[in-house]
Amino acid sequence: MRLQIVLRYIAFALLLNALFMIISSAVSAIYADSGFMPLLYSGLVTALFGIFPLIFIPPASNISNKEGHMIVVSSWLLSCIVGMLPYIMWGEPFSLTNAWFESVSGFTTTGSSIVIDVESLPHGILFWRASTHWIGGIGIILFVLSVLPFLGIAEIVLYRSEISSMAMENFQLRARSAIRILTGVYGSLTLLEIILLLICGMGLFDAVTQAFATIATGGFSTKNASIAAFNSPAIEVVIMIFMILSGIHFATIYAAVRGRIRDFWRSTIIRYYLAALLIGTLFTTLNIHGKVYADWLSSLRFASFQIISIGTSTGFATADSAVWPMFAHIVLIFFTLQGACAGSTSGGIKTDRVILLAESFQRQLKKLMHPQAVIPTYLDRQVVRPEVVANSILYISIYLVIVLISTAVLSALGVDNLSAFSGTIAAMGGVGPGLASVGSMANYNHIPELGKWMLSAAMLLGRLEIYAFFLMFTRGQWRRTVAY
Amino acid sequence: MGLRFKMFFGFVTLILMLLIAGIWSIYELNAIGSSVPKMLAENYQSINAAKKMSEALEREDSAILLLLLGRWQEGRSILNNADSLFSANFKFASANITLPGEQSHLDTIQTYYTAYKGLWLRPIVGTQKEGSLEWYFQSVHQAFISAKNAVEHLIDLNANRMYQMASALDNRSNRAIMPGIVAILSALVFTLIFNFLVNLYVVGPIIRITKGIKKFKEKQTPFDVTIETRDELYDLSNAIGDLCQYYNSKGTAK
Repeated sequence: MRLQIVLRYIAFALLLNALFMIISSAVSAIYADSGFMPLLYSGLVTALFGIFPLIFIPPASNISNKEGHMIVVSSWLLSCIVGMLPYIMWGEPFSLTNAWFESVSGFTTTGSSIVIDVESLPHGILFWRASTHWIGGIGIILFVLSVLPFLGIAEIVLYRSEISSMAMENFQLRARSAIRILTGVYGSLTLLEIILLLICGMGLFDAVTQAFATIATGGFSTKNASIAAFNSPAIEVVIMIFMILSGIHFATIYAAVRGRIRDFWRSTIIRYYLAALLIGTLFTTLNIHGKVYADWLSSLRFASFQIISIGTSTGFATADSAVWPMFAHIVLIFFTLQGACAGSTSGGIKTDRVILLAESFQRQLKKLMHPQAVIPTYLDRQVVRPEVVANSILYISIYLVIVLISTAVLSALGVDNLSAFSGTIAAMGGVGPGLASVGSMANYNHIPELGKWMLSAAMLLGRLEIYAFFLMFTRGQWRRTVAY
Repeated sequence: MGLRFKMFFGFVTLILMLLIAGIWSIYELNAIGSSVPKMLAENYQSINAAKKMSEALEREDSAILLLLLGRWQEGRSILNNADSLFSANFKFASANITLPGEQSHLDTIQTYYTAYKGLWLRPIVGTQKEGSLEWYFQSVHQAFISAKNAVEHLIDLNANRMYQMASALDNRSNRAIMPGIVAILSALVFTLIFNFLVNLYVVGPIIRITKGIKKFKEKQTPFDVTIETRDELYDLSNAIGDLCQYYNSKGTAK
């Protein structure tokens, strides 16, 4: 592995971060708030770190898979590190741990926050928080690749290293086309949501930050009461629509826009994803009606928003789901674990893997009845390679083991069991709010320091889909590291 | 890009990081230095004036009790002095309004004090009020407590502000220190990267060129050193390559 090549490509990610920090400092300057200097200085330092390797290191025509993985994981880690600079330099409530937690939560589009009074933060810092969502939503390296000229083999390797393995399975396009489609859909959805939120009466600043958080399925709001603060059914409907869209594979949205609507509706994954959200909303509405809300309309309004928000791993809130009955909690836990479709900005196990798990279970039952039969696993009328099925099941298993370990550690640190479990799955799944003391109207400020580091690691593991993160710490990855 | 520019850029980056952090820290410390003591002094003066008003009220209360006992001269003398003290400090506090809501507190003090003063301005000695503890507790003491409470509220307002400022001072001093800490850490990391790159793209090629020359000199191996960067070392390597070729063609190499 050539460290200098890794450094050169990470530099692009740093420059991207620096650009958004400087934009955020401009926002601070417009509102004449105290975030200006912390953001500007962070932007300049990050930019200097970004420019320097580009000046010193000559471009490389190709990179290895190891280098690709290293670049992707390092870009995420370094973005999180430089991302905490504006927070830490701004001051209270951002200690080192809190700034790291907030930064990781932003980039991994988790949306868990340690800030008790969000509205007391300056506009520039709020814009930076939302920007971290937007940069991380599509993937830092993918974002970088979309703005750089074609890099040849390096681009293909980086694209493969960054994008979810599951998303690649149902997205058989050349790297450049795939990147163009992903970023095109991402940008268009963001712009469209900003316009619609403005029409609904939201201010420009709130519309932009809320749209960044929605399309990235992040969940950082500029209000203490999240979306409930706007108290507008029209705004809630717009955000719900865009949360659902952001949970769908972007290539499918692109195909639908290009006129292939039938493919969209025929997709097993999409049908399952939408049906699950619908059924979840229905059950939750029935469960909370009469117990929490007196009328049906309120029950439907709050249930649909919460289910879509959690089911797409966004994490916005219009109600305090911590006070809902146990059954509604179980539904929310299911959606927190599942997440939305691969190839979208959402987190969690992903619906694709859940379907594959169900399909392979069905296959196993058939196999028991007909031991000699060759029974392939199908997804969208196409045979899925056995290694893809095996990988999915392995992924789900490892995912649950990590959830178990993290929950145990948090419990040992004194966090109550429900908060520890729901907080962990919310962090791993990039959802944000959990239940009990980390519910939709609460925050993570009270979690012990070590717990915050643990949850940050869970967020990164979930966002990088486990393997890439662990690969970085294997000896094989570092063997034969050469300087030239 | 030339080696000279790369090295220059490296050092300029280091200087810039430290310089900007330094300027920012100085700016923040200067802002604390210039604004906070002034604000603290103003609040302290308001608290001091309010305390003197409170003291004047206490004296007036004692003087009224003397009047109730029939000691006219002593009582009136204390009342006049205390009233002067109250008025002077009220005037001072009115001219030193620094906080939102401070004016309304002063208005309340004035209202209650006027009512209180109205009670003792009229004669007490030689009237039905002399010796009347009932009149004292029902009218005078109530008015005294109201005026004193209003003054206490003014003290609280300024004291709370001083506490808030002390907390803000902590945050601002943190903000003044943080750029320095970040700059030092960044400079450390940057130095490590700079050192790595200088080794890789300056020291490394020089070693390879030296080895290439030695090989050429000792074994007549053709000088073949690849330099990835297009800088002065690349030109040097090419020039040495040409020189070796020249000596080979002349047959003068050892």
